Parts: sequence; C-alpha cells; structure tokens
Amino acid sequence: MSDIAIKTVNLTKRYSGLWSKQPVDAVKNLNLEVHRGEIFGFLGPNGAGKTTTIKVLLGIIYPTEGEAYVLGQPAGDPKNHYKISYLPENPYFYDYMTGREILTFYAKLFGIGEPERSKRVNELLDRVGLSRAADQPLRTYSKGMQQRIGLAQCLINDPELLILDEPTAGLDPIAHIDIRDMILDLRNQGKTLFISSHQLSDVERVCDRVAILNRGVMVQLGRIEELLAGGHVEVIADKVPDNAVEPIRQLGGKVSLHDGRLIVEQPDNGSVDRVIDIVRAAGGHIISVKPYRRTLEDLFVETIQGGKTA
Amino acid sequence: MNATFAIAGATFGEAVRKRILMVILLIALLIILISPAFEPFAAGRGARTLIISFGFGVIQLAGTFIAIIMCTGMIPTEIERRTIYTILSKPVQRYQFVLGKFFGAVGTLGFMYLMMGIVFLIASRMALGSFDPAIIRGLLMFFFQSSLLAAVVLFFSTFVSPLVNYFLSGGVFLMGNLLSSFLETIQRNPEVTPLTRIPVQLLTVILPNFANFNVQNPIINPEQVLTDETAYLVQTLAYAVVYIALLLVASMLIFNQREM
Ligand SMILES: Nc1ncnc2c1ncn2[C@@H]1O[C@H](COP(=O)(O)OP(=O)(O)OP(=O)(O)O)[C@@H](O)[C@H]1O
Ligand SMILES: [Mg+2]
Repeated sequence: MSDIAIKTVNLTKRYSGLWSKQPVDAVKNLNLEVHRGEIFGFLGPNGAGKTTTIKVLLGIIYPTEGEAYVLGQPAGDPKNHYKISYLPENPYFYDYMTGREILTFYAKLFGIGEPERSKRVNELLDRVGLSRAADQPLRTYSKGMQQRIGLAQCLINDPELLILDEPTAGLDPIAHIDIRDMILDLRNQGKTLFISSHQLSDVERVCDRVAILNRGVMVQLGRIEELLAGGHVEVIADKVPDNAVEPIRQLGGKVSLHDGRLIVEQPDNGSVDRVIDIVRAAGGHIISVKPYRRTLEDLFVETIQGGKTA
Repeated sequence: MNATFAIAGATFGEAVRKRILMVILLIALLIILISPAFEPFAAGRGARTLIISFGFGVIQLAGTFIAIIMCTGMIPTEIERRTIYTILSKPVQRYQFVLGKFFGAVGTLGFMYLMMGIVFLIASRMALGSFDPAIIRGLLMFFFQSSLLAAVVLFFSTFVSPLVNYFLSGGVFLMGNLLSSFLETIQRNPEVTPLTRIPVQLLTVILPNFANFNVQNPIINPEQVLTDETAYLVQTLAYAVVYIALLLVASMLIFNQREM
C-alpha cells in the first residue's frame, strides 16, 4: 500500500461568478502530498482556499483542473469513504435528533448493524464526554458540545484518514486541550490527520508538517522543526573569565562579557551544549538557558505579510 | 440501500416535526371531521356526493400543500445548513441521497394520507351509514398524485431556489391539472390552428398529467361510467410510477453535477 494518504496534482478550483464577479481561483496549481500516519497542518488566512481544497478531497465540489487522490483513489469516490472521515467547519447536524440518534444515523450510513452500532455509539459518546447529554436534542447543545458530536461522528467508522476543518474553533481552553489530546491519541493509533486550523499554537504542538496557503497558492511547506529553525538560545552565565570569550565567539553566536557576566545569543543549532561546556570548563557559572524559538505564528505572519504568493 | 433508508428515515423525522406541515394536517383533519355536519344541506344521494367530494377536496388540497412545502426546501436546506457535507463524506452515493429524500417525502405523505384517510372513513361512515370502497380508491389516487408532485418539486429543488420552486412546481401542478381538458376543448374547436394546437399537445404530453388522478368527477357524476375502474386505477398509478422514476433519474443526474 502506498504511503501517501492525500495527493493533489496541479489542483485548481475556479469559482466562476455567474452574474456578478470575475472568476476567482480559490485554489491554484496545488501540489500536495500528505503521508500516512502524519498530522498535517493546513494553514492560511481567511479565504486562502483551505475549505475549498478539503471539499475537493471529499467530492463535495469538483476540481476545475488537476487531480486529487485520497488513499490512492480519485477523490470523491464514496466507496473510499469507508476509510475516511470529515469534520466540517462550524458543523451543523439535524438538530431535532439527540446526540445518540445522530451518531446512530451516521453509523447507519456506514451500514454498521446492531448490536455493533449501539456499542460504538455508546463508546463514542463516552469518549467525547457527552454520555450525560446523549438523549438531549442537539438544538440544546452548546457550540463545544456540537463540536464534540462532530468529532464523535468522525470516529464512528474507525477511519484511516481524518480531515478536520478547524476542529478547535470556538472552544474553551479545556475543550481545546481535550481535543488536542484526542488528536494525539489518534496519531498514536497510526491514523493520518489533515487539519485546517487558525489555532497556530495547537498546530505547532501537534502537527508533523504544515503547508501554508495564501490566496489559493501554497507558499510554505515543510516539517515544523525545519520551518521554525532559526531561533536562538540565550545563555547567561556569571564568573566567566575573559579567556573563555574567544572560543565561544568562534561558535558563531553573539557574545558580550562584562565584569564576568556573560550573555550569549547562540543560534539554535546544537552548539549551545558547546557554549555551556566551555563556560563550565573555564570555571563559569550558568545562570540561565532560555530558548527563543520562532513560533509558527512568526512564520505565518512573515509568510503572509511578506506577500509571498508564488 | 442502508444509507438510502437512513436518509429517508431522517427526512421523515424532520418533516413530521415541521410545524407548518402539522398545522396543515390538523386543519385538514378537523375539516374532514366536521364535514358530516353539512349533510342537512343536501338530501339523499346529494348528501353522499357532497360529503365525499368535499372530503376529497380537502385531502387533495392538504396533500398538495404538504408536498410542495415539504419538498421545496428538502435539498437546498441541506446545502445551506451544510448538513449535506457530513452525509456526502460518508459512503453515500449522491443518487442514494436523492432517493432517500424522495422516500422520506413519500413516507411523510403516506403518513399524512393515512391519518386523513382514517378520519375521512370514520366521518363518512358516521354520516352515510355505509362504507364506500371508492374512498380507498380515491385516497390511493390522491396519494399518488401528491407523490408525483413531490417528485416534481424535488426535481426542481436540485437546481432552483425554494422561492422559484414554489412558482415552478405550482405552475406545473396547475397546468398538469388543466391542460388535458384544455386540449380536448381545443381539439373540438375547428377554428384553432395547428400553430396553437401543437404546442399545447406537446406540453400536455411532456408535463405530468395530474388530471388523471382527480377521481372526484366519476364519483360526483356517476352517470359518466368508467368501464373498468380497477384497470383505470392500475393504469394511472403505473403512469405515476413511471413518471416519478423519470423525474428521479433526471434529479440524480443534475444533483450529481452539483457543487455545494
Ligand atoms: N461557493 C463559492 N462560490 C464562489 N466563491 C467561493 C465559494 N466558496 C468559496 N469561495 C471563495 O474561494 C476562496 C477560498 O475560500 P475557502 O472557503 O476555501 O477559504 P478558507 O481558506 O477555508 O478560509 P477560512 O479560513 O475563512 O475558512 C474565497 O475567496 C471565497 O470567497
Ligand atoms: Mg475554511
């Protein structure tokens, strides 16, 4: 089996404004590969084309040009949907149904029969913490509860690939953490997750790789560590003799020493250990070691405001 | 097939919770129930005719309103509320979605007709003292008429907005009720040129013939004898089934292309 979970080849989606506007390329020439087992963050400002891409992957809309494949099959083949699941942004469900009824409904769409069906529904209600509200109609659910039902709905078929469009939007911090834990849990089970999100700190914590989309064009792609490389570590030490400065300086950092107090701004490339070794060998005393990492937010803002569009 | 029935079930569940549909049903039930009170206004066979044709009139009207109101929003609402996203991302073929919606609509109509039919039978039995099998036949005819109308509305709903749909399907229903007798009149009139006649003929053939189902006439005018009522019933219902099947296929083809 191929280790590619999602692949798009020169994918373009054009919305032609029938009466009013000019056509917009919501997604332009997108080439994407998501590997099995990874958590892939799909980022971009509002209107970047994230949801559009996801809808193409699910066959809700069709590509204007190019191709899209999901788990090795052309996107949108319902037979393939036994192995995938989708949480739309701001999900909305038949609100006259109770939590239990809606999950039962989705289980039926998969052809899951009794007694397996009730068993899974109960397990899922428990897993997303909705057991107590299970027999309340969805119209009485809060936003967070709706989101949890959405997540439960995603797990009903034990999918190989989960496509989540802003799974943590509008959730309180506790619910955030819950969902983040759930996502990590899924990763441990070997699932592939494709997540679109504006919660960059969440993405930074859970995702293996990210792509940043801007106006339909992919402007960044890579492993989080690589994209965020270029941070520095600040080392502060005391009682450092003057003769230690030169070898430290040769490691490439910014060094200042005054009255035995050393401040080093060292690039985060593994040389920090050497700095510490030298300081201690010279009889110095480490006071603090503080990483100043670039955050995904820095990268995001740089990328988008840098106006990179190609 | 599982998925189709699950969608039909959800559609039914949602429809019977729609207040406007329930209000129409309740009003219809109430009117049918009190219709025997009209008996004193007509004597003998007149009373029977009055009560039965009045009851059928109410049932047909209710069925028509229910079919149109229920089905105009059926697909557009799913798209607007985005409930359709989670459904189509499951192993559900688009044709199954359309089919499920239609079965749900027919199931709802069946439920409504059952309610109205039972009340109608009770009311007419009380008033007339006898049970008339023509009522069953009539109910069946009107149920199929409403189901055909539901298929028309569903078909339009795959590509027009609910508001436009009200006018389109309302127009088709009216034309389908009137065209065949209009055509007859035209054909009997030698002064009508083919230029006028042929388009009318064409429309009569293309649009669903809703007039076939209007069984009131033979009941109101028993003089106008149908040679074989059962054959007529079977033929008309078969017409409905074939026409519905064509509409569903067309709906599926359009819905397949649709983006959401
Ligand atoms: N049905 C549609 N018809 C016309 N244009 C559309 C349609 N859907 C989306 N667009 C346009 O396509 C572009 C991309 O929209 P999309 O919803 O994919 O953005 P997004 O990245 O998901 O944004 P957000 O973060 O706000 O959810 C936008 O310019 C939007 O206006
Ligand atoms: Mg979006």
